[in-house]
Amino acid sequence: MVVLGQDRREGLGRKAESRVGLILLTLVSAILLLSSLYSAEASVFKKARETVIDAAAPVLELLARPIALVQSVVGSVRDYFHVLEENEALREENAELRQWMNEALALREILSRYERLQNYYKPLGAAPIDAFVVGESNDAFVHSMIVNAGRNDGVARGQAVVDDFGLVGRIVDAGGSASRILLLTDVQSRVPVYVEEADIEGILVGRTKARPAISFVESSEPAEFSPGQRVLTSGAGGTLPRGLPVGVVVAEREGEAIVDLYANYARARLVRVINYAFPTVELMKEGVPQPVIEDRAVKSPPPSSAAAEPPPASEPRAPAVRVEPAPASEPPPPAPVQAVDENPAEPAQTDDEGPFLPPEEAAAPSAPANEVESQPTPQIEPQDEAPPSDEAPEEPGGEPQ
Amino acid sequence: MSRRAEGFSRLAKAATPTLLGFIGVLILALPVRFAEGFVPTPLLPLVVVFFWSIYGPSYMPAASTFLMGLLQDLLTGGPLGLWPAVYLSTQYIVLSQRSYFIGREQKVVWIGFTFAAAGAALILWLVMSLMSETLLPLGGLVYQMVATVALYPLVAAGFSHLHRRVIVEA
Repeated sequence: MVVLGQDRREGLGRKAESRVGLILLTLVSAILLLSSLYSAEASVFKKARETVIDAAAPVLELLARPIALVQSVVGSVRDYFHVLEENEALREENAELRQWMNEALALREILSRYERLQNYYKPLGAAPIDAFVVGESNDAFVHSMIVNAGRNDGVARGQAVVDDFGLVGRIVDAGGSASRILLLTDVQSRVPVYVEEADIEGILVGRTKARPAISFVESSEPAEFSPGQRVLTSGAGGTLPRGLPVGVVVAEREGEAIVDLYANYARARLVRVINYAFPTVELMKEGVPQPVIEDRAVKSPPPSSAAAEPPPASEPRAPAVRVEPAPASEPPPPAPVQAVDENPAEPAQTDDEGPFLPPEEAAAPSAPANEVESQPTPQIEPQDEAPPSDEAPEEPGGEPQ
Repeated sequence: MSRRAEGFSRLAKAATPTLLGFIGVLILALPVRFAEGFVPTPLLPLVVVFFWSIYGPSYMPAASTFLMGLLQDLLTGGPLGLWPAVYLSTQYIVLSQRSYFIGREQKVVWIGFTFAAAGAALILWLVMSLMSETLLPLGGLVYQMVATVALYPLVAAGFSHLHRRVIVEA
């Protein structure tokens, strides 16, 4: 092979002087690394990241689409050999899904009847933001994707991102026109989840392998779960909506549950960013402080915050519930929020009832009362003078504790 | 050629390795997904840094290595400063061993690159483990380095052709 030796003589002289710059810059990068260890959220770093993402996104987008095209062609060539088995599997799945569809339609019908009973006000739905995956850091340790939707499209930090199958990750950097998603398998990813049937909550911790693990809060009872149970987001902390599908428990290891994610990162192209805002509770200061449940999302507010402020016993007044249409999460499960109570019948019933629910409303939602978020917002009525009647103990689970 | 065009073409030739490095970083940020994402994208900037540190260090000044690493950090989302540290330390070590590599046949250089990649992987793994306070699994990193090392001969042949015929040629 040709010897590239013509540099040798120059190299000897040059070695000495070229090292200084090298050492200097190595020191600079070490300092940068240390400072990002301690203040990773510094606005300088954030601005730098966002600027670079914004600048690089068009280029990446330009290159990503032909790559996606090539991959789909290659993928379909590979799929060609498995066409028969895939057809069979798809047919079975289709049959099963049809049954689910029928059941879902029946449930929807039942639910709409309950909604009518409760004077339910459904907040306006909002469209989630669709985005195309233009970049992917396929690093060994950092698992993130870049999508071409940014602050100008309504994306904010912390929002959940889903694709067709389930939760993909969360937004960590939102630039003007592009943003970065931290995938669930990254070591820094922490998502509050709960196991559906076992009804235990935990945090999904990424472990850079394909299957992240749920670490559970230490409690006196050991967490009991079994493989096959679904894992959904729990909404704890108020940044993600509750009920997004995450995956399925497959195994247990050292007290943690290993989760097989629904999302397929190898095929994620089109994702949706969920524009969710956690509802807050405000006090109106008009002489009489009243609890105002401002529902800015589909999920009902935690019952404890609503129950915290019983109005004074001066007069039986129904709580004024101000419901504002706002970006809501998708899919919107109906959250039975009590509408503005101009219903004159209710004060009349208050004398008979326990502090929180009139009886007929307690009977209806007992079915969906299993999950916290679907409990009807309790009627905050001045019941201080009304003694709890006999019917109060009979109310099945209507009271939030 | 006129003086200006000649100067410009010389500038373009001198900037080529840096540009190749930036293209390598861009490829790292694209959703390339070899083998359905099982194999991480090979680390092309490392090959660029290694090759030109041996055969033409004047074409790969420390500043451009730093910028390459910084761009990779900003695009892939790791802690800022990690990749510059990795690339610069690799460049330092390779520069110190440069007199050994010049004139050797390509197989030896390939093995040398394996060691360089192993060193870079070690630094990467140590820093990331420190930052996440757990010992991270090595699997994905090993796959990435194996893919990079496997790709090295092909890429290095292309680079040496480029270097000899295009860049160094007067």
